[in-house]
Amino acid sequence: MNPHLRILSCLLAAFALLGGCGPKSEEGADPASSAASRDPVEIPEEILQYMQTKVYLGPDVFQDLEAGRITQEEVDERAAAGEFPPLFRFATPDDLPSNLSWENGMDLPDLGSPKAKKGGTLYDYIRDFPRTLRTAGPDASTYFRAYLLDHMALSLGSRHPNSTEITENGFRYYPELAKEWAIDRERKTGYFRLHPEATWSDGVPITANDFLYTLYFFQSEHLQDPWYINYFNRNFANITKYDDHTISISIPEAKPDLTTRLLGFTPLPLHYYGVLDEDFVDTYQWKFAPTTGPYVIHEKDINKGRFIRLTRNKNWWARNNKYLRNRFNFDVIHIGVIREIDKALEAFIKGELDIFSLNLTPHWHDKVPHDHDAVAGGYIHKYTFYNDIPRPSYGIWINMAQPMVADRNLRIGLHYAFNWKKVIEEYSRGDMVRMNSNSEGFGSFVNPRIEAREFNVEKALQHFAEAGFKQRNEKGILVDDQGRELSITLTSPYHTAMDILTILQEEARRAGVEINLDILDLTAGFKKLDEKKHQMVFVGFGTSPEMYPRYFEYYHSTQAYDRAFLADGSVNPDRKTKPDTNNIQSFADPEVDRLIEKYRGSEDVEEMREIAHRIQQIVYNEGSFMPAYVRPFLRVGSWRWIKWPEDFNVRIADRYQTYYLHWMDEEERKATLAARRSGETFPPVIEVFDQYNIYKDTP
Amino acid sequence: MRPDSHNPSAATVSGRKRILLNRKLALLTMVLLSGFLGWKSHYYAGLGIFIILAWLGRRFLHLRWDPSTLKKFKRFRRLRRGYVSFLVIGVLWFASLFSELFINDRPLALYYEGQLSFPTYGRVALGSEFGLAGPEGFEPVRYRDLDRRFEREKSGNWVIMPMVPFNPNENNTFRGVLKPQPPGWSSQHYLGTDQTGRDILARLVYGFRIAIFFALAFVVLTYLIGICLGCLMGYWGGTFDLIFQRMIEIWSNIPFIYTVIIIFSVVPTEFDLGIRIAILLIIMVLFSWTGMTYYMRTATLKEKARDYASAAIVMGASSTRVIFNHILPNTISTLVTFIPFTISGAIAAITALDFLGYGLPPPTPSLGELLKQGRDNVTNAPWIVSSAFCALTFLLVLVTFIGEGIREAFDPKKYTRYR
Repeated sequence: MNPHLRILSCLLAAFALLGGCGPKSEEGADPASSAASRDPVEIPEEILQYMQTKVYLGPDVFQDLEAGRITQEEVDERAAAGEFPPLFRFATPDDLPSNLSWENGMDLPDLGSPKAKKGGTLYDYIRDFPRTLRTAGPDASTYFRAYLLDHMALSLGSRHPNSTEITENGFRYYPELAKEWAIDRERKTGYFRLHPEATWSDGVPITANDFLYTLYFFQSEHLQDPWYINYFNRNFANITKYDDHTISISIPEAKPDLTTRLLGFTPLPLHYYGVLDEDFVDTYQWKFAPTTGPYVIHEKDINKGRFIRLTRNKNWWARNNKYLRNRFNFDVIHIGVIREIDKALEAFIKGELDIFSLNLTPHWHDKVPHDHDAVAGGYIHKYTFYNDIPRPSYGIWINMAQPMVADRNLRIGLHYAFNWKKVIEEYSRGDMVRMNSNSEGFGSFVNPRIEAREFNVEKALQHFAEAGFKQRNEKGILVDDQGRELSITLTSPYHTAMDILTILQEEARRAGVEINLDILDLTAGFKKLDEKKHQMVFVGFGTSPEMYPRYFEYYHSTQAYDRAFLADGSVNPDRKTKPDTNNIQSFADPEVDRLIEKYRGSEDVEEMREIAHRIQQIVYNEGSFMPAYVRPFLRVGSWRWIKWPEDFNVRIADRYQTYYLHWMDEEERKATLAARRSGETFPPVIEVFDQYNIYKDTP
Repeated sequence: MRPDSHNPSAATVSGRKRILLNRKLALLTMVLLSGFLGWKSHYYAGLGIFIILAWLGRRFLHLRWDPSTLKKFKRFRRLRRGYVSFLVIGVLWFASLFSELFINDRPLALYYEGQLSFPTYGRVALGSEFGLAGPEGFEPVRYRDLDRRFEREKSGNWVIMPMVPFNPNENNTFRGVLKPQPPGWSSQHYLGTDQTGRDILARLVYGFRIAIFFALAFVVLTYLIGICLGCLMGYWGGTFDLIFQRMIEIWSNIPFIYTVIIIFSVVPTEFDLGIRIAILLIIMVLFSWTGMTYYMRTATLKEKARDYASAAIVMGASSTRVIFNHILPNTISTLVTFIPFTISGAIAAITALDFLGYGLPPPTPSLGELLKQGRDNVTNAPWIVSSAFCALTFLLVLVTFIGEGIREAFDPKKYTRYR
């Protein structure tokens, strides 16, 4: 071995892992520029045939099919016999029910600021260049998808982000693609009149056919995306076309959040994708599909591995929409690749990026402190904006199927042995607040009586003693009568959580617990979770701004074991853990099962709220989930020329750019740059917007 | 060539067998013991194993430096730079064995209620043993607080804390929060603290100890495999040589660092920290032993053709005996020159792995992890990166100086003059 070569190879490998990659490859034609007709696009014969035979099976049949109680052949036979209702229906305007009460959501307050100006180029960054421009299929669920879909694309309607009012049909919605809608709770159906002038970014009109097509699209196995296939198979009972601009969508259950389930439908362009084949994934890998949203990507603006640019569609049909007109203001959004977040921060301080999310404690307090030249000189403005949304469930999830932690006393002891207070107060300098339950941020669905257990060595020792760990050995670790050490492995798929976890590890020794840290890569970490091989894991699951928390995925026994209980209700001694589910606590409790089933079937807000509170109480008593912390705000640093609305942002914004309310003032930009060169300074701007801070009264 | 210490022909047949058996056993023990090296943080055991290995080698394998090698060592001592570097590293290494006496949150000596104790290496004591009531009584005692309390109470009890009264894993607050604290005399953080308030000097010293032991164990293991296989290939030649050469060519083309990362990521983590470090060591060894075989194979091929080797074979010496008693001592000078470079290579490799976050499991102190923190905090806490960088450079430069010194000392062209 040549030792010098070894050093070199290590360094090269280090650079290779840190540095960029991605040679250029051939790219497809630019869809946005292709000429298109203004006529509604007809559905091809092949898809029409599919639509004529496709039926909706209903939740029971799906469950039986999944559990293997019936076969696909049986289902096909029953379908051929006409047992199931058709999924797609073609009707005439006369078939519309007559007693519908139409609404259009135009009474809600405007979004954004009327002062907003269009124009400018926003410099933004991503950590990894997207691996595809598709929004479905392999590799499509990346951070970049937000630029293509989540923040950009239009649905039938959108939840008004400042309203938390719960009406009879759910949250208040404002119109996007739908001009007006009527919701029929009895029929579990929403009726929609589409905007006749709505077009795709390439100019082709958006019609009812696109909506029907979308259902076909997401049920296709060529997508190679089982999640979508499952979701669209289960959650839509019927879609009916009345005319080119009138449709109805039916769903299986009339849950309290009907509006969310019905209006959240985002169509896909029929004229662009057409009949799908097995090459779908490859064909559309680097193609930008026509969109309903305000920005398009031209082929020349994709520089693989380096940057990607979004260009504002100046002829966007929805530019005058009451709720969209003050948003999406930048002419161009330039998204460069910067792999290291600290490097990106340096780029921001230099002025190469316009806005930077300063959520991390060291960034806010140490790297861009209030007395930083650029902040004190008024060039960079710092904003704290409190939001009010369901919080990502950061916490320690304890796998009850694993030895040691199967003991309830031991789990409760662990709750008392984890010093989150130190992490929150000393490491994050009081930026965070302690999370109290597994349903944080769901408004009235949160059980107000539940408070997380605070670090307390005395109580921890009491509970450990009840679990049999009474004596400390010479290392100071508790041991039981058989000499077993109280040594627990804590897994995490987050390298970034290393600091927090090492602090907790040190503190837990005070209570006689030895924590073995197992910090893995994202992929390896989640694999371990999916296989349920962890004892405890520090992880958080993101939640969208939904009305009520989900429990089935996390707490139902069918998600924990193959057959958790025997017919007589006793624990099945031969049960095997079920991989690839979100029940990573291996939580199985017949009472909770009953509650969850009732919760899932319930159409009454009041009843669901009560059940949610009870489930939270049971989970608290079992001690299988140790809540960590909540970051109740967004913190942003932006250069002086970036302007924000007077109230800064909207209540449910989870990122500063979710609703694109900010804009750029070109003149300010020139003035600021000139002032900076000449050394002239401005008054510093450090503002806090806490109108939506629900933790104000928390000490 | 070294004269054998006792005459083999004088030994009885059964005696010979016993000696041979002993040698095989000794070899096996060497391999096994080296495997355990670096297992736990019992560095004294590690040191002991080294001494035992040296003794075993001398006693059973008759590995002794031949006079010409000894002469080269003498020459090395005269080469100032290399020799001084060697002494510095040796002293540092030896001192690091007793780091607990210099850098620790436990006192060197403690006097409480008429009893003198030395808690550095003892069991963890609880607060209640020192009259602390309430929650503090149930927790391991914090001696720094105890020190302050004793001074306040003036009850005749006292605590003598080490020079740096922190352990490498504890999080010390700075103005009430956990953030990097600049170096300071009064805070006793002589090199400052890292981003979670851990003392950098403590982490450097403990990190150095782990790195150097890791590197030594790495050298022992890679050389054991490399020497054995290399010698066998050279000595036996033929099909064995052919097959192993091809295997080694394939094996050595596997990219080292990626493979280590991939394999280490699937190793179960339920084990103790020490065992996980040992597993990392073994994985690294598995992908690094090939280099040594080339040199040993060549050297063995060369020496095998010499008369003394033929003479030993004619006298009926076994392959093991010829290789280990006759050929190996004559190739040892080649080996020695490589050792320092392998050590610096191993330190650099483990640092690179730690830097990338795939190395020693947290919270093990390490240079790579400090360098990474240093890079992340280069503007607001430059003392992190400068400490780590200086320490790493210092260490690698010293090892390289030793390497150069040895190379020069072992250079056969001593009297060559380049004009």
